[in-house]
Order: sequence, then C-alpha cells, then structure tokens
Amino acid sequence: MRLELADFPVSEIRLGRSFRYENGALEIDAAHLEAMILRDGRIREASLTVVRPGEHARITGIRDVVEPRVKVNGAGQVFPGILGPVESVGDGRTHRLSGMAVVATSAYEGTVRAGLGVQRSALLDLWGPGAEASKFSALVPLVLVMRLREGLSELDAHTAIQGAEFQVARRIAEATIGIAPASVEVFDLTVKRPELPNVVLVQGCLTDDHHVHSGVSYYGLPIRESLATVVHPNELLDCAMAVNATRCIGYFPITWDWQNHPLMLTLCRDHGRRLNFCGMILQRIRYETFHGKEVIAQNAAQLAVTLGAEGALVTWLGSGNAFVDVMLTVRACEQRGIKTVLVTYEYGGKDGVDSPLLYYVPEANAVVSTGSRDRWLELPEVERIVGPYEQVKILSYPGAPVAEAKGPLTLDARDMVVGGVDNWGKESWICTAY
Amino acid sequence: MISKELEKAGLPVAIVSAMYPVAEQVRANRIVKGVSIPHPCGDPSLPPDLDARLRREIVETALKALEAEVKGPTLFSPSMAVSG
Repeated sequence: MRLELADFPVSEIRLGRSFRYENGALEIDAAHLEAMILRDGRIREASLTVVRPGEHARITGIRDVVEPRVKVNGAGQVFPGILGPVESVGDGRTHRLSGMAVVATSAYEGTVRAGLGVQRSALLDLWGPGAEASKFSALVPLVLVMRLREGLSELDAHTAIQGAEFQVARRIAEATIGIAPASVEVFDLTVKRPELPNVVLVQGCLTDDHHVHSGVSYYGLPIRESLATVVHPNELLDCAMAVNATRCIGYFPITWDWQNHPLMLTLCRDHGRRLNFCGMILQRIRYETFHGKEVIAQNAAQLAVTLGAEGALVTWLGSGNAFVDVMLTVRACEQRGIKTVLVTYEYGGKDGVDSPLLYYVPEANAVVSTGSRDRWLELPEVERIVGPYEQVKILSYPGAPVAEAKGPLTLDARDMVVGGVDNWGKESWICTAY
Repeated sequence: MISKELEKAGLPVAIVSAMYPVAEQVRANRIVKGVSIPHPCGDPSLPPDLDARLRREIVETALKALEAEVKGPTLFSPSMAVSG
C-alpha cells in the first residue's frame, strides 16, 4: 500500500463565489456549500464563517473538527463508508488542505438526558490562554454553524452533522484538483530493514457498545464489543476513522486527530530509518468485567507478537475504567518480551498533587505523560462569539446553570475545550518538579 | 477510598467490586469479586431465578468476608460462576 499525501497549505480563507486555491489563499463558494448542506432536511439552518487565529473570538457548540481532504487517485474516496461505499482506501494519491480546519458547530439538545450518551459540545478560543490550551487555535477555522430540526434522535443528529462537515471538507479540498502541491509526502511501509527494530502502535479505544454511536467508527461502522484488529496507517490518512458528532469532549480525539494521529505519523516517518513500523493495532477497551479486560489485553499483545513486534507504543482514548485495559495491555506486551512505552494524559487534580493515573502495574516502566486533564482554565472575556450558542453550560447535566459564552469563564477541567487534552502527544511539553 | 475511611472510623467493610485489582491497589482489606462494572451485585442477563441466587451468593460472601480475620487486602470469590 502506497499513499502520496499532497499538501496544500492554507493561510487565508475567503468567502466568495467560486472554489479556488492559489498560493495559500482558499476561496470558497459559501452559498453553494450552504445549499448543499440544506439538502438534508434535518438541518434547518446552515452558515459558514471565517475566523482568524489571534482574533478575540470564541467558537461555541463545536461537535467535530476535520481537515479537508480528497482522493485524486486510487481506489475509494475519503470518509469511506460515510460519504461513499465501503471501499478499501490508503493507496494512490490524496490532497490535503493543511493549516485550516472545518469546525462543525451545531445547536442540539439531545434526547438522552444523562449519562455517557448525553450530547456534549466544546469551545475553542482563538486568542489568549484558551488558545494556548488547544492546538486547534493555530489552524484557520472555517466554522460551519448549524441548527437542526427540533426533536431529532441522537443518530439523526450525528449523521446530519457528520454528513454536512465531511461533504464540506471534501468539496473544498476539490479546489486543489489539477494544481501542483507545495509538497508531497509518501507513506509506504512495504519494505522492512531486518537490522532495525520492529515496532507496533497499539491504539486503545474506549467505545460504548450500547449507544447508537459507540464513539469511534472504522469505515463508518461504530466499533462495539470487538477483539483487537490491525489497521493500516494509510487508512487513517484517507479518513477511515471517525467519531460521534454529537459528543465533543476535550479528552476524546476527534476526526482531525485520527487524520493527523501524531504517533502514527511519527512511526511512519521513522519507518526504514530508526525502526520498522509493523502496523497499528486497534483495540477496543472498556470491557465491563476484569475477565474481559484481561482477554483484550492478551489479545492485543498476541497480535503484536504475530506482527513481529520487538517494541510497542501503547496509547488510548477515553477515561475511567478503560485505563485498566490499557495497563493490562502494557503488562501483557512486556511479559512477551516486547519493550513497551505507554503514552497517556494524566489526572492529578487542580493542583497536580492527586494520583495521576487510575491504575498501575509494575511492568509499566516507561510512561510518557501528555499533560494534565484536570488543570483549571480561566478564559477571559472575548469580543466575538461564533457558533450556535450565546450561552453555554459549563457542566453537562440536565438543568445545569448557563453562563454567558462571551464572558469570562472558569473551567474546572480541560473537557470543554476542543483539543484541550493532548491525548496522543501532538504538542511539546516540559515538566517541572517542585 | 470510602471503605478505607469507614475502616478508619472502626467499621469493618467488605467492598463488592468488579474492578477488584483496583480495590487491591488502594489496599481495601475485604474485597468481594463483583460481576461487572455496571452491575457488581448481580447479572441482569440471567433468568430471574438464577440472578436471585447469584445476588444471594454475593451478599453471603460479603457477610462472610466481614467476619473473616484478614491481614491486608484479601479477595473473596462467590462460588457461583462469576466472570473472571
């Protein structure tokens, strides 16, 4: 499998009357896109807004963030199984618009009133401490603001929001067809050098098997109770992984994260130089019995052995008891002689003095922290609100008090900021011991 | 953590938990193997009469655990089939 990823960096977006890309400036036909979105009768209103990084603005009601891509050569199409049929992707040539993102926002109340299935949305500040808390503040956002028909089910809301954002992302990437890219990166793991160590990436995924969308999908299929499986990194580059578009939480990776998975990208780039990247193991976690957790840990480790792994990076997404599955996986890999490094965020409480992790095993002797999820965040007042909500709920339970979205906000964790938790180590961190 | 605070106040505690290794890690003294995280004290997928037997078994195991002398974290397993 060989994928050429052609890069078209964007530094400016203009709302105009045609689709055109030239030297980093992207013109889009907003009226055309809005009409395209409104063909879905479940979406009542849709509009597009451009915001600039550094502007004193706050985006509300964020459901997902996606990088525009389009396949120009090779089988299948981007967002397979969602925008088109389930056709294997990862081969050929794909164009990307880097430096920008489609930020999908939507008002939605939801029918689930409490628990893990309840709808959630996130914020993004483009300036100040809120911007520093999220990598997404560095991208030029094309904000898609939507209002849905009243009373939609979670499944309807998800497919409406996701369908709109992915169609917009693909349509604007089509502006690059026939144009020479700024650069092309080739992703090809076919040739291995026997003198280099074999490394795998184990990606634990918390999924909720009893919700209409489990939280993570592969070719549009939500992953439910499943044993571990192997996916090709090129499939991620062609957008085969996606998320639930009714629940956006700072510690849950979103579509953009899957398209730009930093550990996956680094392993691909080091392939044939420092190591052989032998594959990515997708492992469903959050089994509800300890028995289940032990089985999935052994299953992923055995798959790593089958791929010839001598080293493994283990990382995850989720929260709570799913971390037990992750630690057991580290142990199962180490017990098989695979040198294993865990990459995880930590808790630690407001002041960073509480226990950073839920569960420990002695075999986890190499752990990279990607920062704390618990540190409070003070967001100053902004000049401009973009998005469907002028007021936001800081807490997610039904009937929670609302605050003016424009005003100063005190967040008691990073959950409400999209990208507020650096799950997979995209950003640079330093640690100071006191 | 709650069980440890209760014990500090002089009350012996048996904690029924599906995540018993986590309970061991925080050094709870009397730990009873529960069924599953959402329903530690029974199994709603079983027919009602079997579920009732399982529930009774778990509670009786917990009561026995309360009477037992322990030195440090000790795991008590209900004898009826419990996952894990």
